[in-house]
Amino acid sequence: MQKANSSDKEFELICVIVNHGLGSKALKVAKKAGVSGGTIVLGRGTADNRWLKFLELTDIRKEVVLMVCEKSTGRRALEDIDRVVKFSRPKHGVAFTMPVGAFIGAGSREYEFKVPNGGEESMFRAVFVIVDKGKGETVMDVAREAGARGGTIINARGSGIHETAVFLNMEIEPEKEIVLMLTPVDLTDRIVTAVRDGLKIDEPGNGIIFVQSVSETFGILS
Amino acid sequence: MTILAGLFKDNIKTVVPIVAVVLVLNFTLVPLGGSLIARFLVGSILIIIGLSLFLFGVEIGITPMGSLTGSSLVKTNKLPVVLIGGLILGFFISIAEPGLMVLAYQVDFVTLSAISAWKLLIVVSIGLAVIVSLGFLRVVVKMSLKLFLLLSYLLIFILAFFTQPEFLAIAFDASGATTGILAVPFLLALAVGISRLRRDSVASEEDSFGLVAEASAGAIMSVLILNIIIGTQEYAVASLEPIELGNAAVLSPFVHLIPEALKESFVSLLPLTVSLFVLQKVLFHLEKRQFARMVKGFLYAFLGLVVFLIGVNGGFMEIASEIGLRLALVENKVWLVVTAFALGFFTILAEPAVFVLTHTIEDVTSGYVKRKAVGAALSIGVGSAVALAIIRVLTPSIELWHILLPGYIIAIAMMYYAPNLFVGIAFDAGGVATGPMTATFILAFVQGAASAFEGANLLRDGFGMIALVAMAPIITLQILGFIFQARSRKQGVDTGAEG
Repeated sequence: MQKANSSDKEFELICVIVNHGLGSKALKVAKKAGVSGGTIVLGRGTADNRWLKFLELTDIRKEVVLMVCEKSTGRRALEDIDRVVKFSRPKHGVAFTMPVGAFIGAGSREYEFKVPNGGEESMFRAVFVIVDKGKGETVMDVAREAGARGGTIINARGSGIHETAVFLNMEIEPEKEIVLMLTPVDLTDRIVTAVRDGLKIDEPGNGIIFVQSVSETFGILS
Repeated sequence: MTILAGLFKDNIKTVVPIVAVVLVLNFTLVPLGGSLIARFLVGSILIIIGLSLFLFGVEIGITPMGSLTGSSLVKTNKLPVVLIGGLILGFFISIAEPGLMVLAYQVDFVTLSAISAWKLLIVVSIGLAVIVSLGFLRVVVKMSLKLFLLLSYLLIFILAFFTQPEFLAIAFDASGATTGILAVPFLLALAVGISRLRRDSVASEEDSFGLVAEASAGAIMSVLILNIIIGTQEYAVASLEPIELGNAAVLSPFVHLIPEALKESFVSLLPLTVSLFVLQKVLFHLEKRQFARMVKGFLYAFLGLVVFLIGVNGGFMEIASEIGLRLALVENKVWLVVTAFALGFFTILAEPAVFVLTHTIEDVTSGYVKRKAVGAALSIGVGSAVALAIIRVLTPSIELWHILLPGYIIAIAMMYYAPNLFVGIAFDAGGVATGPMTATFILAFVQGAASAFEGANLLRDGFGMIALVAMAPIITLQILGFIFQARSRKQGVDTGAEG
């Protein structure tokens, strides 16, 4: 393991979409591979077939697993998940990664936004805050005070390093809320700092924040 | 895997254990006739198909309609609209419930028409309508579910004090009957729709449950009040005939059941269907595609319900009654109690409303409270309840209230320590557990066992079983709540968060 200054670390958002019921499994595998935690969102997918569509049989229940981790850890975790889920087979789900500009929480404390791989800087950044259920509104309030104009709260469940409990052979994953906000570049720092202080993200177990660069936005009126 | 395929897989998993228990019994303690077994197997297959179609219909038709109705009512932002909406919907759901109709005719028969079927049907429906409306009001004025339930049960206890035993029986039965196969999914979705709009997400989640429980309590209260108004009278004690054993034919009983199943399914779906079309014109204004999807959902639900009812009535009732009777005659009574537990344990998972409840829980909590955990708690609860019902048949000196009173006191006491979310889930589960599977398969089993003993009152024993099945899950699910609460605390981190 190379010892690096934490600000040199490059973070990635891993997004795994699998059939309902496999999300917890994928997260478990990823945690074994060293990912500190993850969040699962329920979703729906659709198959494309005219007859099935008429019979309303096209819906498929899905789970979306979101995990933020260091690049090399992520690579390992994805390989391990692939071994369980077998993405190469049809209908076994998809996985992809996206670069993350800054990551706070779960031991990572440096906040310094980096534009990944020389990508061009845009006007907006996407701020993701993942907190315990019920705190999403607080995040929004704090962010609004710091200048954010709005945001979306997504219900989710998930577990970090501090939350592992097993009951009847299944892991209990506490409920979470993901707050997604698109913020102007010049305000991002202020909003992130406000949320970080307001919700004590630096203390372990209080949630995470990650920021991604956004290339195009529509519908944000100034 | 599409949702329907997933449902088939789930339902095969829930029905196969029941089949296994019956087959094991067949080859060991109680050899049953070949035609009875054959009919049971046909019934099982019909149940799997029927359940899958019905639940799929609920998922794409009834649940979306319920939650849409809930949110649309709240969005009008006019309290009278919300309350009147609750009154009308509550009344419609209840009056069309097939289980309640059957009960009403039974009561008509037992009381020698002193209480006509229509009178009971309307009284219970009004009771349900009022309480659903009050349940809406509870969410709007942010009153806690615990307080609401405590007051309701307190009122029930006071009313029960002035009621004669037969009516107590009818009241608890009515509550089990009203929260049936269609009322539960609709009420659950309605509550989710109403509470979803609350800004406080924790409270919104907690308010998603409890409406079914409130409806159950409303039905009990209305019957008790009816008795107090009419005054105590002497009624002839009628007992029901044991289920007759049919002929050797395998398929013809199913064919004979088709008209009845069609009628029952049509009548139970009619009020919701009419409401759907009216609400679409008045309130929803959905896009054509979305509306068509819901209508198709109703068609699936109708088809599934027909197949399910044919399967349950044609293949499950007789064999259960036969197993009960034969096992009761076996020298060692332990087997009877063990079988009772096993049948209760597995059958509850094939109850349609249970599936809807566990799914709603998983959706509302984004998967935090898993289906399997709720299912396990329900199974243990209902298994114990059926075993207790059998023990009560074996020892007539145990009165029903000897179990019910302490049971409800424990359930209500636990309420103050269990997490709010689980209180709602637990009390809802009580109403949910008493659906068509329990009312046919388990009831037939208990009555079959009771008919082996002289002097057993079939109506009384059958009723006791339903009341117990409605009570036990309230306790086991709150225990599950304690476990979840203890296990989801963060380790090594002092968050200061309350449970």
